[in-house]
Amino acid sequence: MARERVSQADEWQAWAKRYDIEGGIRTFESGLTVKVFIGALFIGLLMMPGSIYLSYVSGQSGAEAAPWVAVILFTELARRSFTTARRQELYMLLGLTGAAVGSGMQYRNFIWYAYFVNTPQAASYEIADKIPDWIVPAGDSVGVLTRSLLHPDWFLPIAVYLAGKLLGTLRFVSGQYILFRLTADLERLPYPMAPISAQGATALAETTGKEETWRWRVFSIGSMAGLIWGFLYIGVPALSGVMMSQPIEILKIPWIDFTQSIEGFAPTGVFALRTDFGQMLIGFVMPFPIMMAEFVAAMASQFIIKPQILYPAEILHQWQEGLDVRAANLFNSLDFEMSFGMGKSFSFAVVGMAASIPMLFKMRQRQKRAGERGSFATPPNRGDFPIWLMGAMWLIGMAGFVWLIHWMVPNFPLSFLLGYAFLYTPINSYITARTFGVLGRDLFEIPYLHEITFILSRYEEVDIWFAPLPDEDYGRGTQGWRVLELTGTTFTSNLAGTLLIMPILLVSGIVVLHFIWQIAPIPSAQYPFVQMMWPINATNECLWKTSLRDGNSEMLQAIRGDYVSAGFTSMLALYGLLWVFKLPSMWFYGIAGGIFGDPGSMVARLLGAVIGRFYMIKRFGMRRWYMFNPVLAAGFACGVGLIGMGTVAIALVSKAVIVKPF
Amino acid sequence: MEKIASLIIIGGTVLWLFSIFALEGRWQWQMLSALVLTVGIFCAHFWEEFQDAGDGGQDAGDGGQDAGDGGTPGE
Repeated sequence: MARERVSQADEWQAWAKRYDIEGGIRTFESGLTVKVFIGALFIGLLMMPGSIYLSYVSGQSGAEAAPWVAVILFTELARRSFTTARRQELYMLLGLTGAAVGSGMQYRNFIWYAYFVNTPQAASYEIADKIPDWIVPAGDSVGVLTRSLLHPDWFLPIAVYLAGKLLGTLRFVSGQYILFRLTADLERLPYPMAPISAQGATALAETTGKEETWRWRVFSIGSMAGLIWGFLYIGVPALSGVMMSQPIEILKIPWIDFTQSIEGFAPTGVFALRTDFGQMLIGFVMPFPIMMAEFVAAMASQFIIKPQILYPAEILHQWQEGLDVRAANLFNSLDFEMSFGMGKSFSFAVVGMAASIPMLFKMRQRQKRAGERGSFATPPNRGDFPIWLMGAMWLIGMAGFVWLIHWMVPNFPLSFLLGYAFLYTPINSYITARTFGVLGRDLFEIPYLHEITFILSRYEEVDIWFAPLPDEDYGRGTQGWRVLELTGTTFTSNLAGTLLIMPILLVSGIVVLHFIWQIAPIPSAQYPFVQMMWPINATNECLWKTSLRDGNSEMLQAIRGDYVSAGFTSMLALYGLLWVFKLPSMWFYGIAGGIFGDPGSMVARLLGAVIGRFYMIKRFGMRRWYMFNPVLAAGFACGVGLIGMGTVAIALVSKAVIVKPF
Repeated sequence: MEKIASLIIIGGTVLWLFSIFALEGRWQWQMLSALVLTVGIFCAHFWEEFQDAGDGGQDAGDGGQDAGDGGTPGE
């Protein structure tokens, strides 16, 4: 029997229907109340200093747990006060607390460049005296030497940052909103990953009501699984590290490397079993064909293509026996995989455009018969904004941003900035919004875009490397608007909350970072993670920033046209052949994602996919299992996050009270 | 149009394989194959969007499996 052709969009939408458990009937309410605002500020600002400190000490900020801590405290308080917490309030609380905790990290670049400007690397690569004063004051300035972000020397970098932040808010709010209206309202794209965010708040909101539903039970199961797993994977090493010189790792973090074990029969192949089995939750959620195709492609790459074809052909020529996964990956990447990967990324861009442009053409036809598959008419009480207002906001924000960059690097060709701002950014954002709407992830990314731009512009000054470019992507953010819709939160209340909290966070973030910098120099022995990593990062940054200066850097030499072409063309051929033979386009994304990937890093996800497909669906039924999935994932994240924050707090306290023996 | 798109894609693939095995994988020939394939893929998607069948394929794909147990989760 002839196979029936299914378009890519229909294939993905059919899959995504499984996640749409609310049936599209929603009422909207404001999530912004005084108690939410104060609660978010309290928890956020309480955890922010610890989060900054931890990121310098251990490289992990633990900030992702804070919003869940806030929500759980909030629901418990509500329960004990015999009142209820609405899911709109809880979702708003999640967002505002996340913003509050992260507010200190937005200034991290100031500390980094204050270090970088005085490094021997910056001096030896002749960059130190060329770093613009709108990034960091001079290395011998008082503001840098006294480690004071509140010194007048920092006025210009902070003013430039704040101007960028203001213009960025204008652009991102309006750009995301316009694209959301286009993809969610008009095109009716399903945003399959949005319910995961929405379900967490919904499940916890139900705990404050009189009746508990299946959501709370599933969320609790997920949380307990997360707590147990988090304790074993994060808690035990963190707590034992407090008492012992060598932490106990029940499962080796982050992987168990089998690369040297397979080199006898698969030279150049890599296999490092990733031990984070929390990844199984992703396998539960993601489409099974993608997980399967990804793993098969990765196995074929590591055990057939690389050892049997590329290695004998001496394409992978730097590999030697005895290399671990990191070294083997580095050499393979420089020999072939980086070039191939670049070509592969370009094929995603072409495929994304090929799927999107015909839809744009067809949209005109749809507009004539609006209502069949969606329209620009908004649901009542959602709190929508006039499109013209959003369009004007975006234009003002983008024009101001282009002017700001032109002021920063006046000799850089203005045509490039205008092209990025008004041509590339809208197209790139629209394509990403569509891929998020259909797949829940980004496919359209042009690699090394800045480097390509700098080569084409023939601009040789170092200052351009420090300036932002207006090549933006609002597509990712459209999913957030979809989550607001799923939780029934009015758009106006979300925007009001964001704008109200922003000035407080801008001030508090810089003050807290100033005081942390005052404790000790960063990096120093007080901050072991940055002390280990930042010198390496400084070298890397120097290599990149000078890579175009003399034209013979190792980075540039690794990029070979024939390999880039091979990646580009082979992926296009694969996509085309799948279409010709009427096979699912999901296979393309699976194979493209898995090729030259490490199959060991996919085992947990595959396990989750197999268990979901062959056990859970049979046990609970297709519909019920896909209703459970997002709630389970949200609960698990909450459990792991809480363990992370708790163990780190214990570790911090113990570090604070241990008395040194001298 | 569907057959034309299929023909172009197969032609592009054959040209790419030829460039790899017979022309030492020269990037110029590979990029020519890529151009042919791009044209074919665009043709394919234009045909999909503008075919007379319209949106009738909505229920295809994996939709048949949605039968499941059909029940609401245990409340």
